[in-house]
Amino acid sequence: MAQKWIEKTEGIVRADFAYWVGKYMDKFYDGLEKQKIVGNKCPSCNKVYVPPRKVCGDCAATIPLDGEWLDLGTKGTLLNFTATRYSVSERRKKKSEKTTIIGLIQVDGSDTAVIYPILDAQEQDMKIGMKLDVVWNKKQQGTPNDIKGFKVAGGA
Amino acid sequence: MNVDKVGIVGYYHIKPSMDLDMGRYESIFRAVRGALDSAKLERKDLTSVVSATNDFYDGRTISNCFTVEPSGSYLKDETKVEMDGAYAMLYGMMRVLSGNHKLVAVWGASMASCFPYESVSLMATDPTFERPVEALNVMTAGAFQMRAYMNKFGVGPEDIASVAVKNRKNAAMNEMALPESQEKDASVKGVLESEVLSSPVTEKMYARPCDGAACVLLAPEQQAMRITDTPVWITGVGYSQETYYLGDRDLSKSKSMENAARMAFKAAGVNDPRKDISVAELYEHFAHEELIQAEAIGFSKAGQAAKLSSGIGGEIPINPSGGAMSGNVLCAAGLMRVIEAVKQIKGEAKGHQVQGAERAIASGQWGFCAQNSILYVLEGGRK
Ligand SMILES: [Zn+2]
Repeated sequence: MAQKWIEKTEGIVRADFAYWVGKYMDKFYDGLEKQKIVGNKCPSCNKVYVPPRKVCGDCAATIPLDGEWLDLGTKGTLLNFTATRYSVSERRKKKSEKTTIIGLIQVDGSDTAVIYPILDAQEQDMKIGMKLDVVWNKKQQGTPNDIKGFKVAGGA
Repeated sequence: MNVDKVGIVGYYHIKPSMDLDMGRYESIFRAVRGALDSAKLERKDLTSVVSATNDFYDGRTISNCFTVEPSGSYLKDETKVEMDGAYAMLYGMMRVLSGNHKLVAVWGASMASCFPYESVSLMATDPTFERPVEALNVMTAGAFQMRAYMNKFGVGPEDIASVAVKNRKNAAMNEMALPESQEKDASVKGVLESEVLSSPVTEKMYARPCDGAACVLLAPEQQAMRITDTPVWITGVGYSQETYYLGDRDLSKSKSMENAARMAFKAAGVNDPRKDISVAELYEHFAHEELIQAEAIGFSKAGQAAKLSSGIGGEIPINPSGGAMSGNVLCAAGLMRVIEAVKQIKGEAKGHQVQGAERAIASGQWGFCAQNSILYVLEGGRK
């Protein structure tokens, strides 16, 4: 059967959302702008959240905005990883020659994990539990992309 | 009207396809019409219709507004769930149990051939934190889950591949399975050597989304017995969900399925799932999710599910139909697990029939690394 596009929708309507990140994520992004990763601690279970939360789901309790905030430093531990040649975000799935390694990284001192690329690494060198350092983007803008990714600690 | 029991009195799903030769209207119509025909009922007999569609997958908001005519819900009580049809069935069940409805059609459908599913899944991530980083989608999440499971329990990729082999071979015996999934000669080597999508997940470990539609009919007990000599009863259901951020979860297990199973088994009086269940149809978006679910349900200890005898003639047959591998119709594949369980109980599963199937379970899951789980216990019999 011949393929043809009857209607290929490419953003007839633009609906850009100006999300309000809230006061907790505001503090987090303010931290990134200064090359700091901050988390907050639930006062009832002591769990340290990165990114910070207003509500601890386990405790069903509010974590106060003026509660305990921690400057966690810029080191982390690799909890999990995957390597893919497929773009995560292309409109049509697109393959590249380059393999991207994506990690689930626990920032040291936190009880959760964040997802970022692992830079300048080979898949075969990845080991769960290995230590990582944050790689900052050149320009800090107070956004999630202030963190470019993580790299193997002590690596080039 | 006081209702204690809900019966499944009709079912149908169209044969899944990677590129269906019909439009959305027609596929939905065929599923609902097929279910009505299976019960020898008409549209006028329906009192309520519950659908499962996804606005992102349909590329339009409130995507049930265009399904009114094909789903038989024109001028009827109608409502929608934005997840799998297995969840819509819980909603439909509640409508029957309210005492206000005598016949409820529950359907789910989507056409993955129309949109880039893996990329669209980025829209399910946190728009202000994860989405701008563009590292997490359904595929990378599934890869994390597989590695978490293997790493925690020392399970090898060949154990995961064996699940895909079993399901693809089972699909070959299921005449209603996605043709591309029917591989009577599937091998562990073939699965492991298929293209790496996001390591360690390979193409053949992945239940690639496809086109299709499915429908079941629900009725209260008395009505169900008037409609059919062989109703299948929902004797237990459980539902649970986990936290949103993957980094907050232990991906090597499914706590939501543990909870769902506990709830469903308590309601149905299942004490030892391994003895009390004849057959299981579990929604596995990825091969490893079958093992994680089997453990959450209690078929084996954590990390041991690969050792289960889960073939069609095995001790506890899992996914004799081929599971989601036999047609991962988003919004319908969980409901299709229910349909497959119903077929087993009624002895209508033909080439993949499990002998003596009496009590079956069927699951649906939704979200990254199966954030949500639902499980049904289904049984036959006249009372
Ligand atoms: Zn807490």
